[in-house]
Amino acid sequence: MSSSPPPSSAAASPSCPKKMIALRSSDGETFEIEEAAALQSKTLENMIDEDCAGTPIPLPNVTGKILAKVVEFCSKHAEPGVDDESLRAWDAEFVNVEQATVFDYILAANFLEIPTLLNLTCNVVADMIRGKTPDEIRKFFNIKSIFSPEEEEEVRRENHWAFE
Amino acid sequence: MHRRLHQPHLPPSDSPSSAAAAPSPSSSSDDAKRGKKRGSYNCGRCGLPKKGHSCDSSSTAAAAAAASSTPVSASAAAASSTAASASALVRPSFSSSSSAARPPQPPPFLPRHPISHLRRALSFDDLDVRADEGEDFDEVEPDLDERDQDLVDGDADAGGLPVRCLWEVMRRLPPAELLAAAKVCKGWRDTSRRVWRAAEDLKLRVPARAQLCFVGSVLNKCPELVRLSLRMESDVDATMLACIAFSCPNLESMEISTSSNAVNRITGDELGRFVADKRCLTSLKMEGCSNLGGLVLSSSSLSTLWLADLYSLSKMVLNCPNLREISLEFSRNGNDCTDLIAMVDGLGRSCPWLQNIHIASLRLSHAVVLALTASDLRGLRMLSLVLGSEITDASVAAITSSFSDLELLDLSGSSISDSGIGMICNEFPETLSRLLLALCPNITSSGIQFATAQLPLLELMDCGMTICDANDESLISDEAINQGMEKRPKSNLHLIHQKLIIKHSKLKKLSLWGCSGLDALYLNCPELNDLNLNACKNLLPDRLLIQCPSLENVYASGCEELLIEVIQNQVNNDSIPVENHLPFKRLADGSKRIRVPHFLCQQQFDVDKKQRSRRRPCNVLVE
Repeated sequence: MSSSPPPSSAAASPSCPKKMIALRSSDGETFEIEEAAALQSKTLENMIDEDCAGTPIPLPNVTGKILAKVVEFCSKHAEPGVDDESLRAWDAEFVNVEQATVFDYILAANFLEIPTLLNLTCNVVADMIRGKTPDEIRKFFNIKSIFSPEEEEEVRRENHWAFE
Repeated sequence: MHRRLHQPHLPPSDSPSSAAAAPSPSSSSDDAKRGKKRGSYNCGRCGLPKKGHSCDSSSTAAAAAAASSTPVSASAAAASSTAASASALVRPSFSSSSSAARPPQPPPFLPRHPISHLRRALSFDDLDVRADEGEDFDEVEPDLDERDQDLVDGDADAGGLPVRCLWEVMRRLPPAELLAAAKVCKGWRDTSRRVWRAAEDLKLRVPARAQLCFVGSVLNKCPELVRLSLRMESDVDATMLACIAFSCPNLESMEISTSSNAVNRITGDELGRFVADKRCLTSLKMEGCSNLGGLVLSSSSLSTLWLADLYSLSKMVLNCPNLREISLEFSRNGNDCTDLIAMVDGLGRSCPWLQNIHIASLRLSHAVVLALTASDLRGLRMLSLVLGSEITDASVAAITSSFSDLELLDLSGSSISDSGIGMICNEFPETLSRLLLALCPNITSSGIQFATAQLPLLELMDCGMTICDANDESLISDEAINQGMEKRPKSNLHLIHQKLIIKHSKLKKLSLWGCSGLDALYLNCPELNDLNLNACKNLLPDRLLIQCPSLENVYASGCEELLIEVIQNQVNNDSIPVENHLPFKRLADGSKRIRVPHFLCQQQFDVDKKQRSRRRPCNVLVE
């Protein structure tokens, strides 16, 4: 006579098992994310609501490298019991990357509609812009400016209260 | 500028909403009155104390939204040197977001003007200096076409951000930076135009040069403007009002503050015309109003009115039936001859729905209170009548018999005594949560204790400079003396060796600044966050016991070194004294052995651990 092994509980919490959502990046990598973390993204939330989260959700606009970090971000922000200060510190570390990566985060946050990530990353870029003259901004972001002389004059007039 | 007597110690840091700058301990008192501009010692952005605090402007949008510091606050904060001389737009205590010279206010009772989620704010701190203040941001829906999602910036190599993302970045720039960003390239110029056009909130510091031109050109960029706040650095007159009236058709809220050398020359007639023409104006705040003369305001939309530095109003007629909140601060130079009785009488009749009243004037008297109580202001929730030394216990009797639901009562600077407190406790125990009685020399420690015992909902109590010798000049700032604060003769005996025992389950902020007559203090308040003991110079270290596990800030400037040490030990002591409930039995040899059930021992240990980890470290702030 053998006793049947106790049913393996899928979840840490006694109430319900944690649902995992599968995401597929543009380059074919698959990632798993907890439902609670996925709900940070309005796009994913809509998809989950419409119950198409059975198969991995394809995200053609996000590469595997970025998607991994986004999953990390959402998971961290969905963790219960993290106090504000340490979360802020974690966020600061998260965006302590090179500028191109921050831009990628912005694009991902915009596409996936993750307000917290969007806010964090846009503030970082805004900080990069702050304190710079237009020339310095162009150099920093590698932007070529194509203003005709008339346009140049118009823009200068419109915004002439800055850095006069 | 307003100068208000307050604790002569720390320079106020402004807040609400704004953050950063050395906080001033004095901000605890009269905060309510002060409002952001005044300098509070709590960061407006995140509610943490400002001292040594740098607010992370990349915190959540909500926090940013709550806290965008106004230029006024920022410059006030930066320039704050002494508490007493901070000039700022004084805000009545009922302003929820105001930082306080007094302990910061608990959540407001008056529902705030609903923040539409399309609000965007641009804040000019200084056009010449790089602004580093963040803006507030709520969820905003830009008016971009679908195709813009894919449209990358028109110029090549613009960082590859689609317009929508660039918009999100640019709207987080302060105005000065936004103007600079517009010059980078075409795409950025277009996006910056969109950001301007979408702006609904604007806070501008108006430099002295070419102010009209400047304000006009900026206002032209944001025609949808709903809320405007100007800090004038040079004289302002009705031409500015005309400029605003012309450029901002949708204006709902306007605020004009003046820096120390700017004179506000707007007259009552001009202001009246402005208000009458602006059909959607709901909030008007102005300081430096010494040239108003007479004022007749007619508006069915106006619900909030704050006027500061009023002087000798020949008449004041407010035909504003929807007015909910009014704050009138009169000049303190002693020559003001406004007929307060007629004014209050008119107020009661023409604005029946008033909920919050704040009047600060040296000429407040019992007769004025009678005029107020004679009116049928059934909705009154917050009443603040300060600086009136002629307000007496009889006035309190009138107040208690006319208003039954007060949530805030501020009679600082009055002559009420402990029996006045008794009347207050009798009438308002079910509603009163904020009681401010600073600078009331006739109040004693028994009155204060009675109040804390009888008012179960009390969250804020300000007893600054009550238990002290009012003639002690070292406590009163020079300004106070210059402004002719009356020094009332008092017998000194009951002003020394006073003790206070306060046990209260809800009290969050307690101010005992300047109570030099206090030598013993016992506090057992589990919810207490802020404690102000500045200038309690006679408090004995061995007669101080603070059992307040939620305490976050203690202000102890001007106290003895030893006392400060004791305070630090007590508030940061990990072992919370737990009352011993454990049973003991006397053994045959006469000794007592405590029988500790095993589970109880474990429980206590867990409780201790939890409490230790939950409690934030408490700051003891000196200077």
